[in-house]
Amino acid sequence: MNQIIDISIPQLLLAFVFILIAQASSFIYHLGLNRDISVGALRTFAQLFLMGYVLTFILGTQSLLLTLAVFAVMVVSAMFIVRGRVKEKQVAYVLPTFLTMLVTYFATAVFVSGFIVGTTPWWEPRYFIPTLGMVIGNSMSAIAIALERMFRDMRVQRDVVEMKLALGANYREASDEVFRNAVTAGMIPSINAMMGVGLVFIPGMMSGQILSGTDPLVAIRYQIVVMFMLVGSTALTSIIVMLIVRKRCFGSGEEVLLTPR
Amino acid sequence: MHAAMTHLLEIQNLAFSWPGAEFPVFEHLDLTVREGAFILVRGASGTGKSTLLRLCCRLNRPQVGVILFRGRNIVETAPAVLRSMISYVAQIPQMTDMTVGENLLLPFSFAANRNKIAPSEEALEQMLAEFYLEGVSLGQSALKLSTGQKQRLAIMRAILQQPDLMLLDEPTSALDPESAAMVFSIMERLNTERKMTILGVTHSDYRPETVVALAYRLENRRLTLTDA
Repeated sequence: MNQIIDISIPQLLLAFVFILIAQASSFIYHLGLNRDISVGALRTFAQLFLMGYVLTFILGTQSLLLTLAVFAVMVVSAMFIVRGRVKEKQVAYVLPTFLTMLVTYFATAVFVSGFIVGTTPWWEPRYFIPTLGMVIGNSMSAIAIALERMFRDMRVQRDVVEMKLALGANYREASDEVFRNAVTAGMIPSINAMMGVGLVFIPGMMSGQILSGTDPLVAIRYQIVVMFMLVGSTALTSIIVMLIVRKRCFGSGEEVLLTPR
Repeated sequence: MHAAMTHLLEIQNLAFSWPGAEFPVFEHLDLTVREGAFILVRGASGTGKSTLLRLCCRLNRPQVGVILFRGRNIVETAPAVLRSMISYVAQIPQMTDMTVGENLLLPFSFAANRNKIAPSEEALEQMLAEFYLEGVSLGQSALKLSTGQKQRLAIMRAILQQPDLMLLDEPTSALDPESAAMVFSIMERLNTERKMTILGVTHSDYRPETVVALAYRLENRRLTLTDA
């Protein structure tokens, strides 16, 4: 029962039927997504295989330096993805976002891997790297959503923010609503995931563990840790990034720097 | 020494340019505002009248020049504290999605105004009448008021903070003649009855009837006294 059924290359290629369905849908209904679907499918194939080989190598070497190098590559890649989605030129948000991601993701992974799961060493790659992957994947989207929302609202509501400033509000008081709405928008997907988990969907990690023969009750415990970790790390990272970037939306005289596009 | 004390605001050699612009909006601009004065700056659209007011409360930053408020460079005062003393009312009145009463008391929720005493409901209702807002109740939504009503409410909200200086940015530009006349009347009464110092900008031909005003014209990047 605990023996996992391997997927052969022909069987794997059979999964491309789903990509063909997506391609046909795009073609028939002129969605213009054919190129993106092809690139996405190829990248999924290449990136996951590459990651598989890297993980196999790292798990074999048990090297702290290599583990940290993988961590650095993951955060840098996440930052590039965030930067690609948030096209903001007037506020320098990249460096503070990157540094916050680096510190909070590391702290979260150490806490989960070293303290909750209790691996030895704390950076045991088999636990440390997948934990990071899940944290970064979720939190990165939340940060991108929150940043986009904050920059947009700061422009749309500039007159209201300035009205509050003119009435004696400091920049935090004047932009309080913009800040709250941005952080909330970023957090909602993680919170919705907690609401739906086990009812609407079975998360990837839990499914993977069950498929590989792990006792479902053990898989559930891991999944609960993961869900809580995702909400907590998303909240922490989003709030720190938003606090720093919000300050950068204002000049030394607490004047709004973002001008209409 | 006495002369320096009566100068509420002094603008010295001020210049401002928008980023990337070939020419400055204005330059070498000097202006002195004495306590209790009623000053009007006229000029065509785009001459920098609004920018001048915004610079006085640090909503924009000049490239050159100094602005002194009560003898002190405004950049040495915390922005929120400065703006609790210098109240700026924008051309298009802004209200939050709250009631009229909540909008009027909004400034008192800010840390810089916490030492100021918020007026009672009765006092607010009395003031509404003074500002020609008799039909408006404190409990109704502020967003549903007309632009003219919002503008009078915005001036009233600024007054409640008891600022030392009121900056009025084209307060009647979006109003019909009747509403504009009400706002002008309020401005003059604030100066005569409450001794409020007023620096206003306008592109209209408004001439105050009940106050002695200093009038300037802002054109060709320079400010000149036209009517003393």
